[in-house]
Amino acid sequence: MTFKLIWRNLRAHPIRTVLTAGSVFLAVFLLCFLQATVSTLTSSVEKASTRRLWVQSAVSLFVNLPLSYESRIASVGGVEWVSKWQWFGGIYQDESNFFAQFGVDADTFLKSYPELSIVDGSYDDFSRTRTGCIVGKDLADKYGFKVGDRVPIIGRIFARKDGMPWEFDVKAIYASSSPAIDQGTLYFQFDYLRESLESGAASGQVGVGVYMVKIAPDVDPTRVMSAIDLMYEKGPQKVQTTTEAEFGRQFISMLGNVPLLLRTIGGAVLFAIFFAVLNTMLMAGRERTRDLGIMKALGFSDSAVFKNLILESLLLCLLGGALAVGLAKVVESGMQRFMSSQFPGFAIGPDTMLLGLVIAVGIGLLAGLAPGLRASKLLPVEALRDEG
Amino acid sequence: MALLPFQYNVRSLFVRKSTALLTVFSTGATVAVLAGVLALQQGFATMFVERGRTDLAVFLRPGAGSEGESAFPRDRAEILIKGTPEIAQDASGKPLAAAEVYLAIRRFKMDGGETNVPIRGVQPMTFEIHGDDVKIVEGDKLTPGRDEVIVGQGLVDRIRNCRVGADLVINTTPFRVVGVFESKGGYRSEIWGDADRMLEALQRRSFSRIIAVLRDPAQLPELTARLATDKQVPAKVMDERTYLKSQTGGLSALFFGLGKFLAVIMGTAAVFTGTNAMLSALAARVHEIGILLSMGFRPFAIFVAFELEAILIGLLGGIVGCVLVLPLNFFQTGTTNFNTFSEVVFSFRTTPMVMVTAVVFSMFLGLLGGAIPAWRASRLRPTEALRRG
Repeated sequence: MTFKLIWRNLRAHPIRTVLTAGSVFLAVFLLCFLQATVSTLTSSVEKASTRRLWVQSAVSLFVNLPLSYESRIASVGGVEWVSKWQWFGGIYQDESNFFAQFGVDADTFLKSYPELSIVDGSYDDFSRTRTGCIVGKDLADKYGFKVGDRVPIIGRIFARKDGMPWEFDVKAIYASSSPAIDQGTLYFQFDYLRESLESGAASGQVGVGVYMVKIAPDVDPTRVMSAIDLMYEKGPQKVQTTTEAEFGRQFISMLGNVPLLLRTIGGAVLFAIFFAVLNTMLMAGRERTRDLGIMKALGFSDSAVFKNLILESLLLCLLGGALAVGLAKVVESGMQRFMSSQFPGFAIGPDTMLLGLVIAVGIGLLAGLAPGLRASKLLPVEALRDEG
Repeated sequence: MALLPFQYNVRSLFVRKSTALLTVFSTGATVAVLAGVLALQQGFATMFVERGRTDLAVFLRPGAGSEGESAFPRDRAEILIKGTPEIAQDASGKPLAAAEVYLAIRRFKMDGGETNVPIRGVQPMTFEIHGDDVKIVEGDKLTPGRDEVIVGQGLVDRIRNCRVGADLVINTTPFRVVGVFESKGGYRSEIWGDADRMLEALQRRSFSRIIAVLRDPAQLPELTARLATDKQVPAKVMDERTYLKSQTGGLSALFFGLGKFLAVIMGTAAVFTGTNAMLSALAARVHEIGILLSMGFRPFAIFVAFELEAILIGLLGGIVGCVLVLPLNFFQTGTTNFNTFSEVVFSFRTTPMVMVTAVVFSMFLGLLGGAIPAWRASRLRPTEALRRG
């Protein structure tokens, strides 16, 4: 009986119901989107491996480590192998097409990442081809790269002397099963870069951005980390060794306080929508003063009248909220492609969906409170006299 | 044609105080978000660009997009500084040019966490070039050849070991902080030291960029063209303002994008709220409208009256939104500039532009929100309207 009454009331003002549910819908959709962005940032960190360590310069992200560090790091007890990474920072066609490119060691790269699988082409071809590269699935989809294509990249840190772009032959396309490693990167052979720099075909210094260190399963990472750091305590370049997870955390912290900015915006959105729904419910409560008087005169208790308005508000918000969460889930894959370069692995997780619903319920309850209380305190005689 | 007096709108708002107030606040919150993001963008962009001089040339390695990517070995830097006739000279005949080292180094923030702070190795001529644009506000000047640094005002309260007297370790070399300097632009988020000492500490051999005052800014295009294809010392040359603009593109575009995205979504929600409020105002006023119509007011006048009321709510919402973001002006924030991947410190700036944009946007939301109710009101028939309510 109660539900039917609520439903009829909502339908008595179709435009208002649709618009209010619509506001809640927009707010929850936006909040889901903001929350997903924040949790995407943090989930990549949580899923990172603790068996992979990163050795980088303790001075600056932009300082390379000497090549000679490789064999010394490899000699530290508990280290299985060392793999070189170098940031390339080039441009594909236009500055707006940003994606990451790294020079890596073909022989150790793939075996360091069991999360990666080759979905097209062959990794062996990549290993055998000096100018070869592998590209992530998202990147291949975005720019239409196929196995056999030649991708021109303009070097900014490492410019070719002939003034032409670098060219990398796509030998394989990879997919990743973990948010810790994205599908939007181009990996090429470190040795191709090194040889080009050494032969003078390109300008820039030979160096290694980070050494990735794979440690044996039964080794304590803390011990390996401090052993490596200690080796270079007095220079020539101080290093800092961290787990992959910590490396990611640092990187996000360096991005500035993005989560705080997004949460502040989210707070303001909540504020605005709360007022909007409260407004609607106050209007609904006021217009229905006479109806409420009749209900009371018929013998409905104060709490029944109170419940009636709260439930109406709740239903309204839940309707908008559930639709928003549903839509967010539906457009997830489209969003993923759109945001793949800035936020790889963007996903609407169960935590985000739950948050969306909790917020909708919260707004509904709070906004129903004021008109509900007013309704429960109404005197039937006075309410009946109201002209509505 | 007779329109309803404006006072009618104002009084109508007062009659339905709570509804009007809630609508104003909800619109205000929407507008505040937009204005806040815009103020962030303005603070960031103007901080960089307002200092940019057009008579100051920046030389980078060809192909480099920023000074972090650029490099000039010592011999080439000297050829450029001494062998470029377009560069102005000081009183003693020395070229007004300086080779600088630039690197974003890892530092700890006061509130924990790490960030990338730019350090700049400068030459005595750097200070000549900037003149009063760079002022020491605490402690001493930099002494050439010593392991000393001066710190930009923006860093003092944000980054550890940045107070006068502290030792700031770069790689393995400790540098003594001897002074704090103030500057209008991005320099106030930087640490400055002697260029040669910095190169030594960082184990580097190349300078990053050269800055030089031009005799005549009009010669810049010619200089740019000549050095772009120079065989001996090719370089990419631009004026400082152009350079700084190129360093803010990424983040500025992101702020704009975020602002637009939020404006569209939250704006739509605000229009919904506005429509709701005006519909309820309409429902309560059917009888009144009947009277107005039978008095001879045309439906168009009713339409205008309702729209005006909605726009008035929008205006008030816009003002509330602006008042909400005004305190942000005192906030200083730091964020990573994507183009340089180093931290810049800047303040929110609620410029008149931001305010006007916010208020106009808010009134536009009111206009849209008022459309359906106003249209409905103007379609009422006097006889029916009088009978109802």
